[in-house]
Amino acid sequence: MMKHSGPLVEVRNLKKYFPVGKAILKSHTRYLKAVDGVDLSIDKGETLGLVGESGCGKSTVAKSIIRIHPITDGEIIFNNTDISRLKPGQLMPFRKEVQMIFQDPYASLNSRMTVRDIVGESLEIHKIGTRKERLDRVRTLLEKVGLNADHANRYPHEFSGGQRQRIGIARALAVNPSFIICDEPISALDVSIQAQVVNMLEDLQKEMNLTYLFIAHDLSMVKHISNRMGVMYLGKIVEIADSEEIYKHPMHPYTRMLLSAIPVPDPLLSRNKTQTEMEEEIPSPLNLPSGCRFRTRCPHAMDICETQSPLLSDMGGNHSVACHLAK
Amino acid sequence: MNDIMLRVENLSTSFFTHLGEVKAVRGVSFTVQKGEVLGIVGESGSGKSITALSILQLLKHPGKVISGRVLFKGESLLDKPEKQMRAMRGNQLSMIFQDPMTSLNPTLTVGEQVMEMIRVHQTVDRGLARKKALELFDWVKIPSPRERLNCYPHEFSGGMRQRVMIAMALCCDPELIIADEPTTALDVTIQEQILKLLRSIQGRLNSSIVLITHDLGVIAELADRILVMYGGMIMEEAPVEDIFYRPRHPYTVGLLESIPQIEGHARRRLIPIPGSPPDMLKPPAGCPFAPRCAAAMRICFEKSPEYSKSKRSRAMCWLWHPQAPPSAIFDRWRKGA
Repeated sequence: MMKHSGPLVEVRNLKKYFPVGKAILKSHTRYLKAVDGVDLSIDKGETLGLVGESGCGKSTVAKSIIRIHPITDGEIIFNNTDISRLKPGQLMPFRKEVQMIFQDPYASLNSRMTVRDIVGESLEIHKIGTRKERLDRVRTLLEKVGLNADHANRYPHEFSGGQRQRIGIARALAVNPSFIICDEPISALDVSIQAQVVNMLEDLQKEMNLTYLFIAHDLSMVKHISNRMGVMYLGKIVEIADSEEIYKHPMHPYTRMLLSAIPVPDPLLSRNKTQTEMEEEIPSPLNLPSGCRFRTRCPHAMDICETQSPLLSDMGGNHSVACHLAK
Repeated sequence: MNDIMLRVENLSTSFFTHLGEVKAVRGVSFTVQKGEVLGIVGESGSGKSITALSILQLLKHPGKVISGRVLFKGESLLDKPEKQMRAMRGNQLSMIFQDPMTSLNPTLTVGEQVMEMIRVHQTVDRGLARKKALELFDWVKIPSPRERLNCYPHEFSGGMRQRVMIAMALCCDPELIIADEPTTALDVTIQEQILKLLRSIQGRLNSSIVLITHDLGVIAELADRILVMYGGMIMEEAPVEDIFYRPRHPYTVGLLESIPQIEGHARRRLIPIPGSPPDMLKPPAGCPFAPRCAAAMRICFEKSPEYSKSKRSRAMCWLWHPQAPPSAIFDRWRKGA
């Protein structure tokens, strides 16, 4: 189906702690552990999906990978180079390779810039081509994402949500990146438009041999687009496997709970589906449970879960899970 | 059929903007039975939320109901003065909105807000209102309700805020609840809990619920009957099973085909509906869906079809006209399913 040739992106033991409030002594500062030891690798041409409830740290992983903020610990290896400690100036070539598509097509486009300036900005920053060439490139890109080349001189408010997201995609494609992080790219769009955008992302991937990190809370869409899927809970990956495998044989109780919560667009199935009782809400990431972080909501929690944090271990067949129950 | 809670007849609502008249709702008629969950699905701009706001007379300038009738238990709502409407809203009729953050006042504790709601509609003192608020919090399963009453909205998670909103909607045992995208801003796990809560409320109060959503999964779980809206009109109305297993409108087929099937094994390519929704400043002369429809004929662009009705359902499509040529579009979905 797709060419796989070694990892393009590798994340090792990524940690991102945010200091909370102010303390007189540095040692008294409390930290919000948004990402707490995440390992990932994404092959060339592959789509890795990342799912989890809001606050689980999936967007922080994305932002850490593109170095929007400095990370607390860990390594981010892109194309065999550790970029996690590079200085802003040294990051420029990396920035050209990695682009991002954002969730909100309204907030992520500057309303005072024309489409031409929005899409062409990165070309200008990376000093690619002449003015004329850049405009040509913008026009080609707009057509590639299904817009009209003459839309270049318009402003974002003249477009619908779906069209704006296409502009955001054109902007991401402008510098010919190899890796695109899609952070909830379709959740603000209408159902009939979501399918258009997802199909387009799939086509672009094939055409330009792109690698995606696809973050979303819509599990059925993530399953549809991803080759592999990681499930995150409170800053850790609890299960990662091929998308089909995860759906057919979910091992972690949290994965099972997420899957059972998906509303099925089929009245007979959805009304007969097994109800998992799960009343507790996600604990505060400021005050994490000891041991396994999921134990407070887990229907199978045992004594060991309270004291020992389970490690993510390979169960064979590329299926890894972090649970004391998994054998 | 005598227990009709709400009857909407030929409702049309427009927004009079400086660009011209935006025809948001164009001749919508439907009924809601007592104790029934009526789902309204549609994309943004289809007119589903405006229909709800028109019913409750919550339209803001420049929106205006231009024709039609809204009967709540036989009483016409549209010509009621604002003062009477105020007494009804939150009382017999209540609404749950999408975004619990913007619908709550950030400067008042949630207890304050729930109690205000109770005291507006019932003559009770603060102590009793507080007791009632506690009961409601307990009912919507807000843990440690006593402490939570004194918290501000920002101290709540999204799911908990939505529970507060639901508690407020329930404070006077409403007979009709209009829930506009009640779970859209929430995580799937929380969504599941909120849907369960709505179901239990409906069971306990036997209220009617109008559930507005764009999520076919949500509607499949909760609704008894479904209206599919597009371009300010009802494209199809049918019991929930018929919508999902035997859709009778090409737009419904299109919606079903554009969502990924969880159960499917192979990575089936999605079939999107091409194009984008109509510009309601200049709605198409014929069927609003015609420009995006795979089965559109010439007449579809020129003349709006009549409803083809059966006992419990109707579809607005020329393909059901006795002289229409046979079309495979409806078999397409049935075969796939």
